[in-house]
Amino acid sequence: MIELVDVGVELGGATLLRGVSLAVPAGARLGVIGPAAAGKSVLVKVMAGLIPPTTGRLIIDGTDVTGWSEEKLAPVRARIGMLFQNYALYDFLDVAGNVGFPLAQRGLAADAIGPRVLERLRAVGLAGSEFKQPSQLSGGMKKRAGIARATIAAPELVLYDEPTAGLDPVTTSKVYDLLRADHDASGATAVAVSSDVAGLVTFVTDVVFVYRGQIAYQGPAATLADAPDPLVRQFVSGALDGPLEA
Amino acid sequence: MIGERTLTLLGARAMAVTREVGGIAIMTGQVLRALLPPRLDGRELVRNLHRMGNRSLPIVALTAFFAGGLMVVQSAPFVKRLGATSLAGWAAGYAVLREIGPILIGLMFSGRVGANNTAELGTMTVTEQLDGLRALAIDPIRYLIVPRVLAMLIMLTALTIIGDLVALVGAAVVAFLVLDIDWRTMYFSFADNLTPHDFFHGVWKSVAFGAAIALTSCYFGVTVKGGAVGVGRAVNAAVVAAAVSIMLLDFFITYATA
Repeated sequence: MIELVDVGVELGGATLLRGVSLAVPAGARLGVIGPAAAGKSVLVKVMAGLIPPTTGRLIIDGTDVTGWSEEKLAPVRARIGMLFQNYALYDFLDVAGNVGFPLAQRGLAADAIGPRVLERLRAVGLAGSEFKQPSQLSGGMKKRAGIARATIAAPELVLYDEPTAGLDPVTTSKVYDLLRADHDASGATAVAVSSDVAGLVTFVTDVVFVYRGQIAYQGPAATLADAPDPLVRQFVSGALDGPLEA
Repeated sequence: MIGERTLTLLGARAMAVTREVGGIAIMTGQVLRALLPPRLDGRELVRNLHRMGNRSLPIVALTAFFAGGLMVVQSAPFVKRLGATSLAGWAAGYAVLREIGPILIGLMFSGRVGANNTAELGTMTVTEQLDGLRALAIDPIRYLIVPRVLAMLIMLTALTIIGDLVALVGAAVVAFLVLDIDWRTMYFSFADNLTPHDFFHGVWKSVAFGAAIALTSCYFGVTVKGGAVGVGRAVNAAVVAAAVSIMLLDFFITYATA
């Protein structure tokens, strides 16, 4: 489905990613973990075509889309849904407007959008919030509204950047339940960035560990705690002593 | 050593200004390209016209009224001394239509609308809303920037025309109250001495000022870095850049058409 070949990203004189090679097959659920500022969000933004690789190639369904213009990327992006770390809910629209926005931009009639918005809002537990402004929502509600918007157009690939950051444990569990149910039903490919390893491994099947802009480890989520790399073991266990620099 | 350091700082500052001017020029090109063919979000344009224009009208009218009056107050001693009441309207009108009106309203518009626009776009940038649009294959320039630029151009021009008229009324009211010049004298002073050229000279200036305010406020908004502090810095930079642009454009337009 999506492949990064020896990708490097430099922005403002800083190297954010280097030599990243990664393949995510269709239907896979990949988790991306790592310390803060390791390059996790940059990695998913490269996958979404939002940050162009400085070096290397981005391949989607066998087509090399590296260096494509925004116009040329548009049909590719139409197949991708994304939840942003900072929610990215549009201030100028209410919740229903935000969730229905991807459909409205595809030219669907308002009477066709309304029922789908209500169905998605019910699915994420936000029924009754359709006329609220984003500023009236709590952090958890914003995340769920973001998930509803990212998935309403039934994308083939959904990228989740920190879907549970700042949420309490119960809401975190609800969000991962929702993601599991969604992807079980749709079969869509998922890439989720999260610092909440315990929650993330209940959703994904494979995990990559990003450290200083490189993929330091890649393996199954089920055996993450027993990973051979001491960096990963320390990160997962939260131990203070180890090779991981604070 | 001090000289070298000063030169380094000057060079760095010059590079930064060049980068910003280049960025604004690129954005201008992107906006023009997005207008060919003009595919606009009509609702976004109307929303911006309303909030940028309608809501600015009371403050612009108030400022213009007193600016027109001030021109008369300033010229009052000379008018009284020389008995040149028939020229009081011309003096106030000439200054208001060609200079004071466009500049004052442009600066007010920059402070109210331009600063607000930068803050709004800056907040949208740091909260990833622009990336959110791009992720949905929506061009932020076409969807967000073009309607704002058009709304600012249209509304600053309209506000300047309205402000000019209000300023002339203000001049007539103050002339009547302070100098005891009757309405008809002021009217004929305006009508006999002011030309359409004086009016359009100010209107063209307002178009240029509107473009400068729109492009600088949008540019600094979408290039924000560093969260809330960055938004504050961007608003400051946008207001300064707009004020400098207004004064430079005013000088060059006046010089070129003198």
